[in-house]
Amino acid sequence: MSVGFGNWLDERIGWRKVWDAIFLRKIPKVNWLYTLGSATLFVALLQGITGILLTIYYVPTPDHAYDSVVFITTQVPGGWFIRGVHSWGASAMVLLSVLHMVRVIMYGAYKYPREVTWFTGVGLLLATMGFGFTGYLLPWDQKAYWATIVGTRIAGVAPFIGEPILRIMRGGEDLSAVTLARFFGTHVWVLPTILLLFLGFHMYLVIRLGISAVPGKEE
Amino acid sequence: MEEKEKNQLSRRNFLAIATGAIGAVIGVVMAVPAVAYVIGPALQRRTDENWVRLGSTSKVELGNPTLFKTIVENQTGWIVTEEEVSVYVVTEDGREYIALSNICTHLGCRVRWISDQGQYFCPCHNAAFDELGLVVTGPPPRPLDRYETKVEDDQLYILLGG
Ligand code: FES
Repeated sequence: MSVGFGNWLDERIGWRKVWDAIFLRKIPKVNWLYTLGSATLFVALLQGITGILLTIYYVPTPDHAYDSVVFITTQVPGGWFIRGVHSWGASAMVLLSVLHMVRVIMYGAYKYPREVTWFTGVGLLLATMGFGFTGYLLPWDQKAYWATIVGTRIAGVAPFIGEPILRIMRGGEDLSAVTLARFFGTHVWVLPTILLLFLGFHMYLVIRLGISAVPGKEE
Repeated sequence: MEEKEKNQLSRRNFLAIATGAIGAVIGVVMAVPAVAYVIGPALQRRTDENWVRLGSTSKVELGNPTLFKTIVENQTGWIVTEEEVSVYVVTEDGREYIALSNICTHLGCRVRWISDQGQYFCPCHNAAFDELGLVVTGPPPRPLDRYETKVEDDQLYILLGG
């Protein structure tokens, strides 16, 4: 972008202020552990892109789900790569967000005034796990089917509310077409919406409050 | 002081350029498969030109068209559909075989061989074709479609999707 055009645009939409607030904000002297959050964000972005691409061919019904996934991995050019990135990215998301969380705990970065940042972070972690759980069923193979049988049963053993929760998750007594459809809907509509809301709030707070320094030794 | 300022600036520039470069590499690594992935199936030509076996040549009587039926599989995406193809096979000398589609070239009804009259008859608009598929009467604009044929080990094959 030429400087002239940059200025023209800045005069009208004020992008420089936003850019500076995001990328040129002051930060204390930190170490590499502070990149874990950004790394998680980067993987989340990849998940979004590859996930959208997968929906171009994937069909969430019992008679087509498995075949369409096989079609993606064996017939569509680059399909194995897109699916591979999405599948490995899912594990990377969980791993990176947990590591990020551990750093925040160890450095006490969740303390005043950043408690709400922490809460939204916990929300993000839960959303991520929801993604992992619902996404795992979608290929509709044996592994996916039984993992979801077990996963929903785990929810089912909770006292009193377990049974209704299991039924709501499965959309009935058994794992069926209804389950697959609602897991898909949750995976591509509900959770992304939740994730974006929490993420927006989380990032806003990070920028507003700044990040905490590495705790000193003398304290 | 001056020196230090300069170093500071070049380090900053270096990091900016490195970040941009790595970002560009990742972008290309993702974008190329993504584009191939999206447009891939659109670029696939139908290459399902294949020889389909109809049956033994001994079933074909001299001068009397014989109907063969065969199932062909059609794959679109991950869905395989089966389609029945019916073909009349004619031979005059037992060596050269002509395979005619039984689909009327007018509006696509099925024609039927009437041996008394020595003609194919289309019930939809009363068209008639002779033994070799040429139009005798009626509205069809062209003779019955032909398939390429070949004989291997007394088995008759036709070329589909050509
Ligand atoms: S369709 Fe055969 S004559 Fe019209």
